[in-house]
Amino acid sequence: MQNFSYYLRLSLHNIKRAPLPYALTLMILSIGLGVFFSNATLYYWMNRDPLSEQSHMLFFPRINAVEQACDSCLTPLRVLSYKDVQKLSSSAIPSAQAGMFQSGGYARVPNTQNGPTPVTIRVTQRDFFTLFNAPFLHGQTWADNEARMELILHYNAALKFFGRTDVLGQQLLLDGELYTIVGVLENWQMLPKLYDVNNGLAITPVEEIYLPWETAYNLGIKSNSTTQSRDSRNYNENFAVNGREGEFYQAQFWVRLDTPAQQAAYRQFMDNLVASEKEAGRHPRPNGNLLHNMLDIAEAFNERNRQLDAFAMVSVLFLLVCLFNASHLSLNRYMASQFEFSLRRALGASRLQLQGQLLTDVLVNGVLAFILALLFAVLMLLLINQLLPATSALNNWQPGLILLMFGVALLASYLVTVYPAWRASYSPLNQQLKA
Amino acid sequence: MISIKNLNKAFRTELIETQALRDIHLNVSEGEFVALTGPSGSGKSTLLNILGTLESFDSGEYLLDGQAVQGLTDRALSALRNEKIGFIFQSFNLIKDFSIYDNIELPLRYRGFSSAERKQRVEQALERVGLAGRRSYLPGQLSGGQQQRVAIARALAGSPRILLADEPTGNLDSLMARQVMELLEQLNREGCTILMVTHDPEQARRAGRHVQIVDGMLSEATVYQPLAVNQ
Ligand SMILES: Nc1ncnc2c1ncn2[C@@H]1O[C@H](COP(=O)(O)OP(=O)(O)O)[C@@H](O)[C@H]1O
Ligand SMILES: [Mg+2]
Repeated sequence: MQNFSYYLRLSLHNIKRAPLPYALTLMILSIGLGVFFSNATLYYWMNRDPLSEQSHMLFFPRINAVEQACDSCLTPLRVLSYKDVQKLSSSAIPSAQAGMFQSGGYARVPNTQNGPTPVTIRVTQRDFFTLFNAPFLHGQTWADNEARMELILHYNAALKFFGRTDVLGQQLLLDGELYTIVGVLENWQMLPKLYDVNNGLAITPVEEIYLPWETAYNLGIKSNSTTQSRDSRNYNENFAVNGREGEFYQAQFWVRLDTPAQQAAYRQFMDNLVASEKEAGRHPRPNGNLLHNMLDIAEAFNERNRQLDAFAMVSVLFLLVCLFNASHLSLNRYMASQFEFSLRRALGASRLQLQGQLLTDVLVNGVLAFILALLFAVLMLLLINQLLPATSALNNWQPGLILLMFGVALLASYLVTVYPAWRASYSPLNQQLKA
Repeated sequence: MISIKNLNKAFRTELIETQALRDIHLNVSEGEFVALTGPSGSGKSTLLNILGTLESFDSGEYLLDGQAVQGLTDRALSALRNEKIGFIFQSFNLIKDFSIYDNIELPLRYRGFSSAERKQRVEQALERVGLAGRRSYLPGQLSGGQQQRVAIARALAGSPRILLADEPTGNLDSLMARQVMELLEQLNREGCTILMVTHDPEQARRAGRHVQIVDGMLSEATVYQPLAVNQ
């Protein structure tokens, strides 16, 4: 340990000897690491479990309820109809459940000069906020799943429209309809947004405004993403009836099944449901029941973000190229200090002691590269934030991720240091010391 | 102190094999001052490097202080170099951007001495070579003779039993060479065993013993006889 401070001094001394080549080596290393870090951050956020305490209890049921007969159609649609949600909602097994879809509109505060602003909307039911742990800052969720002119605002939307969050009882005009605000969420985000993977695992924020499900059907508010109609009704007219009765598929449905027993019971419930529907002559297609766990949903919908995987690959390759280059530069540095290596050996430093020196170099380089790489990564992420809105969550690194990145920086520094140093330290001792 | 029997050493490169040392026998007792001479390329440095465990050998036996050197671990060899042997090179081999003090302290750093002990030893060694006032100079700010004295101080600081000097005065003018030589002789009088490679017949004569290497073969040089004896 007393040697460590000496090794540290020598490491710094070595840097001062040839600051420019060192800076270049460090730069290359930290650019490689920075690109890798920012990609790793994206990758981490998009592949993480956003609800680790309960994701294993959250399920997405799908039934094959399309009304045209087709014996070879085994897989249900990706979206559900109003009737599907209604049928599935009839079970008492889940401890929470909610149908939902995404929509959009224009909102403004009544009696002000402000013009309408585009907003993102999630039409959903009472249990949504329990299902996905969305905490309330003010107020609470709707008392039941009935239609009501009440909406819940996201923290950001409250600030956007009112400049403050304590806006319970205030009114908001949304596409010409007046709603009362009954709840304001905390500044909550869910990354990845697994409750809606219809449009791929995009990096989008949670919605700004939450509307009651029945109200949306009454007012003809439809999904602005995936919809499918399988009959000849006109869904632009009388949606309150057509939307509810017709074959208009647009919804996701999530249930919370707390125990494996409840999960098994729910599967049974789904099978019974299909059997009784068939008896009533309403389920012409084969039983194609599916019950996806939340963590499998992206895979099940084939919506894993392949682009992200490709980016990750590229950033790893880029890091390797940087490592290779940095290692080459580093080799020159160590070759230049070969004489000193040999001298120290001749004067009685053991290989182990010289390795201690090298590991100190690794540590110093690792720490410096890590700090620089974080800077690069922050810049990269700022750029990504410019290109993809809603990545605010990406800016805060979890301690675990930081630690992991530090580990990668150390490993990279090790790779860049060890090969050159090994080359330098095994040269014949006496050669270097001759005149 | 040093006992070498049947020692052979060859350097092999892809094209040629150089037999640098052939069947060397050499015994050096504690306190001797041995001068090693021979034409360039005859194997003097190779022998010195083997003695200093910087170089391995192909066959034969080398006992240092009764201990066989072959087969020692890197750790043991380093400790041996660090504690028992002091090296002095023709080209001084000081680190140019280290102060005189840091240069002398370098081998002590690998020995686990406390900082107080290191300081005391460096100061003593500086005193010994008469450079106490120059501790914070850089090597480049000293004359060649002074630099070689720093190198000697570095070799001395660890109180070695043996000093191995490879043409220590080869790069010095005669005045400086004489000063260095006097320093070595004084160290020898104080009990240090010294093996010194030299080209200077005068220096060889002043050493207690003189061995010669020609073509990798070692022989005891004939003792210098004044002409008067034959008359
Ligand atoms: N590392 C080496 N590789 C190949 N040949 C070497 C090496 N070191 C020394 N030699 C050869 O061994 C012989 C003895 O060299 P050396 O001991 O340096 O001679 P001296 O010091 O007497 O001038 C020379 O022929 C030299 O070329
Ligand atoms: Mg030589």
